[in-house]
Amino acid sequence: MTSHRGDYWNPKNETLSREDLQALQLIKLRRLCEWAYAKSPFHRRRWERAGFHPDRLKSLADIERIPFMTREEWMEGQLEAPPFGSLPAVDPVLAVRYHTTSGTTGRTPLRVLDSTKDWEWIAEMWCYGLWAFGLRQHDVVLFAFSYGTFIGFWGAHYACEKIGCLVLPTGAATSEARVKAVMDMGVTTVCSTPTYALRMCQAAAEMGIDLAGSNVNKIIVSGEPAGSVPTIKRQLESSWGAKVGDNAGMTEIGTIMIFECSRQPGGTHIIEDNFIEETIEHDGDRPVPYGERAERVVTSFGRGFIPLIRYRTKDLVVKVPYTECGCGRTGDLYMGGIQGRWDDMKLVRGTNVYPLAVESIVRECSAVDEFQILLTRDGLQDEITVRIELKPGREDHWDTLHRRLCKDLPDAHEGLRFNVARAEHNSLPRFELKAKRLVDKRPVAEYR
Amino acid sequence: MHDVDLLGQPMTAPEQQLLQVYRTLKSLAAANHPPCVDRNVKKALACMWQVVNDLNLEFEQVYDVGV
Repeated sequence: MTSHRGDYWNPKNETLSREDLQALQLIKLRRLCEWAYAKSPFHRRRWERAGFHPDRLKSLADIERIPFMTREEWMEGQLEAPPFGSLPAVDPVLAVRYHTTSGTTGRTPLRVLDSTKDWEWIAEMWCYGLWAFGLRQHDVVLFAFSYGTFIGFWGAHYACEKIGCLVLPTGAATSEARVKAVMDMGVTTVCSTPTYALRMCQAAAEMGIDLAGSNVNKIIVSGEPAGSVPTIKRQLESSWGAKVGDNAGMTEIGTIMIFECSRQPGGTHIIEDNFIEETIEHDGDRPVPYGERAERVVTSFGRGFIPLIRYRTKDLVVKVPYTECGCGRTGDLYMGGIQGRWDDMKLVRGTNVYPLAVESIVRECSAVDEFQILLTRDGLQDEITVRIELKPGREDHWDTLHRRLCKDLPDAHEGLRFNVARAEHNSLPRFELKAKRLVDKRPVAEYR
Repeated sequence: MHDVDLLGQPMTAPEQQLLQVYRTLKSLAAANHPPCVDRNVKKALACMWQVVNDLNLEFEQVYDVGV
């Protein structure tokens, strides 16, 4: 056994050999598929059509016999048999929780249900991540989260209670009230999106408060890919005087499936005793090896109410072996966390533009308060404009910043010309949850 | 009682006790009790499910007993 046993929430499984981990995954996969085949009309119908039966799972490689599940199929089922469709394997009367997707990637949200056991499991997964980043009973944790039907930090809240922390649920409080609570209550840990953690820094600066002087030593971020972007992480760590730990999950599984440990190896560990995370080519169905960009495909063991089996997430990831981190965990990593979404990519004059790549360049300049990417069409030509708001008192940085962005953005995008424009202070939208900084005003039909 | 976990490894004495607690709660959850017993037993079973799942002692669905 390793010497840092206390660093693990679940020492037995977080340090399993890869061979044992895969054996465990196969046992759970078989049992989950048998359950789904017997109880979920959605899965049974699709599997029978594809000629798959759970009996065919003889080795972990046989997972490839299971047809992929897509959001579109799930949504179709929901529309055909509202409100929950044919995916649930259990009578909805057993549910104690109802949540929905945020609507970021589709107009109609997916509806999910959890039983008492599932809801407890959701918190359990967060415990893996929070414990790994150093959260303990003595911590005072502030949740900058609005507690709606979006799943967000719900699981993290209950995980903190499970660990024994003092939890401050700030609900609909203003940014200023949250900053005041951080200072007055001796908060050690803040949970929010990366965007909102930056927003709290702005609010604190306007109040004349230096958050680096607070007791906060950990920022737990989730909900956006930005949490693993080095420039954003550096800016947050500098402003807060705290370590920033990235975690990522999705409403479809109800919780997180990856977390950053306290060693911060530049990537996030996969909770592999509770999930199978495959990396598949985004425009096909073949596995992608370590080190290459891929789409993640998830199978979740903990939520039998709505069994998620080989679900195509459209998340862009690069998987690397667990040996890239020296913490002793044997779960593989996604370097850079979730690096974006395959469907986030925009085509501008023949060049691929990922909003997160633009953000990582813009955030290199600490004078930037907020920004927006605007796509328009001028006659026959697409135009991309990055609108920048400067922090108060940093206006004299504009000329230098403008020159730098006019060079760095094209350099990172095959020479694509970017317009860089200054926006008035407080003129751009602010976000608490998933930030939407890209506005595409081009005629939609021509870009489908 | 099983002597090995899901991976065929011998269970420790505490693991055997934990599995027994889980099974007792599962049995209680299936029985007819007043609400104060029923809901608290089910909540306890939901927590113990995490323990047996975390330690690879059992992996099964417990919806049929209302959890």
